[in-house]
Amino acid sequence: MTADNVTTLGHAPVASYRRRHFFARGGLPLQVLGRIGSGMLVLWAAVTLSFISVQLAPGDIVSLLIGEQIRTPEVEAAIRAEWGLDQSLFEQYVAYLARLLHGDFGRSYILQTDISALVSSQMLPTLKLTVAALAVAIVYAVASAVLTAGKRIPRSIAGGLELTLISTPTFWLGILLLYVFSFTLKIFPVSGDRNLSALVLPALSLGLSLGAVLGQVLREGLERALEEPFALTVRSWGASDFVLRLRHGLRHAALPAVTLAGWLVGNLLSGAVITEAVFGRPGLGRITVDAVLSHDMPVVLAVAILSALIYVAMSTMVDILYLLLDPRLRSDAGRAKT
Amino acid sequence: MVTRRHFILATGATALLATTGIAIGAEAAAEAPVSGGSLTWAVETEPSTLNPHLNGQAKAKLILRNAYEGLLARTPEGGYVSWLARSYSISDDGLEYTFKLRENVSFSDGEKFDAAAVAFNLERVKDVTYSTGNSSGHLTHVREAVALDEHTVVIRLARVYSPFLDGVSGIEILSPKSFSSSQLKSGGPEIAGTGPFIIDRYVKGQEIRFVRNPNYNWAPENAGHQGPAYLDEVIYRFLPESAVRSGALSSGQVQVIEGVPGNDAGLFRDDPEFSYQTAINTGTPYTLYLNTHHGLTADLTIRKAFQASIDVDQVLQSVYRGERLRAWGILTPADTDFYDRSIEGAYGFDVKLANRLLDEAGWSERDGDGFRVKDGKRLTIEVVQSQATVRDQRDILLQAVQAQARQNAGIDIALQYVDAGTYTTRQKDGQYGIIPNSTTTQENGVTIYFHYLPRDKGGSINYSRTEAPQVSAWLDEAASTLDPKKRFEIYAKLQRYAIVEQVLGLPLYVPDDQIAASGEVKGVGFRPFKRLPENAYDIWLQQNA
Repeated sequence: MTADNVTTLGHAPVASYRRRHFFARGGLPLQVLGRIGSGMLVLWAAVTLSFISVQLAPGDIVSLLIGEQIRTPEVEAAIRAEWGLDQSLFEQYVAYLARLLHGDFGRSYILQTDISALVSSQMLPTLKLTVAALAVAIVYAVASAVLTAGKRIPRSIAGGLELTLISTPTFWLGILLLYVFSFTLKIFPVSGDRNLSALVLPALSLGLSLGAVLGQVLREGLERALEEPFALTVRSWGASDFVLRLRHGLRHAALPAVTLAGWLVGNLLSGAVITEAVFGRPGLGRITVDAVLSHDMPVVLAVAILSALIYVAMSTMVDILYLLLDPRLRSDAGRAKT
Repeated sequence: MVTRRHFILATGATALLATTGIAIGAEAAAEAPVSGGSLTWAVETEPSTLNPHLNGQAKAKLILRNAYEGLLARTPEGGYVSWLARSYSISDDGLEYTFKLRENVSFSDGEKFDAAAVAFNLERVKDVTYSTGNSSGHLTHVREAVALDEHTVVIRLARVYSPFLDGVSGIEILSPKSFSSSQLKSGGPEIAGTGPFIIDRYVKGQEIRFVRNPNYNWAPENAGHQGPAYLDEVIYRFLPESAVRSGALSSGQVQVIEGVPGNDAGLFRDDPEFSYQTAINTGTPYTLYLNTHHGLTADLTIRKAFQASIDVDQVLQSVYRGERLRAWGILTPADTDFYDRSIEGAYGFDVKLANRLLDEAGWSERDGDGFRVKDGKRLTIEVVQSQATVRDQRDILLQAVQAQARQNAGIDIALQYVDAGTYTTRQKDGQYGIIPNSTTTQENGVTIYFHYLPRDKGGSINYSRTEAPQVSAWLDEAASTLDPKKRFEIYAKLQRYAIVEQVLGLPLYVPDDQIAASGEVKGVGFRPFKRLPENAYDIWLQQNA
């Protein structure tokens, strides 16, 4: 394999895959165990770091909970006892870890609810939004790349559109979509997570800019692929240009885009905050921002841990996707083994 | 669905109103209210908790009041009328309050509403481990609350405390069974009240749905009607973006919205298909409180110069386009009990005075940016504003004040938007020049105590950090008398001292609430006296022929 036909973004995972595979000579179960173990280690580190950083954040939690009420020693003691703040920091940490192992994230200072229930109730709407936005992004990116790669005028039109989408703030795009499709044309409802049609506008406003980024990377990759010798070979078989692009070129071009998508999906959570607020949707993004602003540390902690979990899961998935997409990696690995 | 029973009750109530001749407005009189229908109301603020004892958000009251009620209601003139209590009396020494409760009232979980339930609620709310001070403040001086018989509650105080009646009559009474629910702290359908609606479903981040309480027959004496509510159900949808709320209303996806920004007001006010109402809040106006114990604002001359350097009228005009009312005193004009109007115009914008004061105080040199300096130090006042409570374009308002102070007097206003934790720390340690704030739910002069008593004596939001002994003495005197006239005089004296003489604060504007509704929605409006949006009890939908 030469490095010429893989962009730099593709390098790191390829290399790391080789290394891992080399390391895995001891056998597959050991490799799997190693993966799980290192995943757990990352999670534990995330929990600990989050816990420490929450402690370092400015503001005494007792003062914050008392807020603008009259402060008396009884109120203070009551609050400390209620939230377990009368224990030492280490005891609090150990207690927190123990509770985490039972799936208990504690109770929110501000919302007063059980955080596990809160997070799981907000997870589904966010997941729906993320998946829908990702679908929008992929459809847009693939269509734009396949239809315009290598064609001068369509390419520059699509490029201009993408640049506009990337530089449009999600907030503004959301309001604009609402104004056109909800307030004026009345096709889609304004808010909530009630049915599929309520998902369309939020998914578009979140997914389009992501799709624009992916589209640019994908088109770039596709154009390179079409200049490869194999493209000429496929053409010589009599395959149509469309088949060449869709079946053969896209696979080549997809690697950097997949890497980028993996990273961007993690970022969707932060984009979701704005989308959720504009469209009045429930979701993790909104409770996170509210929690940060109101210093609701148990919720912040839970979301931080959850994000770490998602990132760990995502990076594993991206590694696997690489294998599925690029047979050269598989054969490469096979050669390394012998 | 309108059952026959609802219909009979509704027509009965209408007939009753007609015969007793209670004024219900010309429009409503022309057309009898009809029962039934569903209403969707888009609100800005989602309640942090649905337990009314623990929720301190003024903006959440309009939602929670559908399900939870207090002992007495207020009249526009500041009087008290019966609600869950039929009548009340205060002993001559001012230490014993007796409430005679209404009979045949039940909680929505089927429990009976009686004196024991009221006494139990008061006892729990007084306990800081439950309410953590959110509503226990009013009960600090309560010695005991006893159920004398099934329908009589007696509350004995340790000392005379004049704001007590207002405070205690507003505490929501929950079903005693609710206190053993796992939902107690977060609130929810299991927490039963006596209100005209019952919480049916709460979807965090999206909406809360109430259904009519068919047994309801104990509305406040001055409500628009008696008997069950007109609407079958009411849904409050949480839409934090003001532009989206306005769009949702104008496209007919919701029927009522609250929180209309100044720029959108004309959209609904000038359109006959919509109704638009505003009401100024009670409590304290949005005020810049100047720290008298830290930094340059500790110097009275600088506080006076700052006050004289801001043209409040012009600032409000440019930011809100005339949609907000200028504030002058320590209370808003809506506080009909204790607001002394004579403060209006008693101080104000005076560039010459501002500059003369600063020149005389030795701040006569200017640096390259046009700010005044003394001994190489710039005349900087730091404003600490909590990011979480920025609303109503207050960030822009502060920028306008900043520009005026610089332009008119060379004062450098440094704006700092901080997170909740930093804000609490700064507030506690007094590390700020100015803290801007307004309060809305502390009526009957209570808010004055929180603002002007020393911090260790109950002045929990004493942002100016004044510890003047005469202020404490005045406040103590006012709290110990039940004579409203005497209290008024004392608060008026304090107002002059705090705003004109000492410049502990510079009031900017009176916060208000706005409601816009589509034409078919009738009976939507504000609470008497407290001026917050009212619950959905009196709302009905006009049938389009």
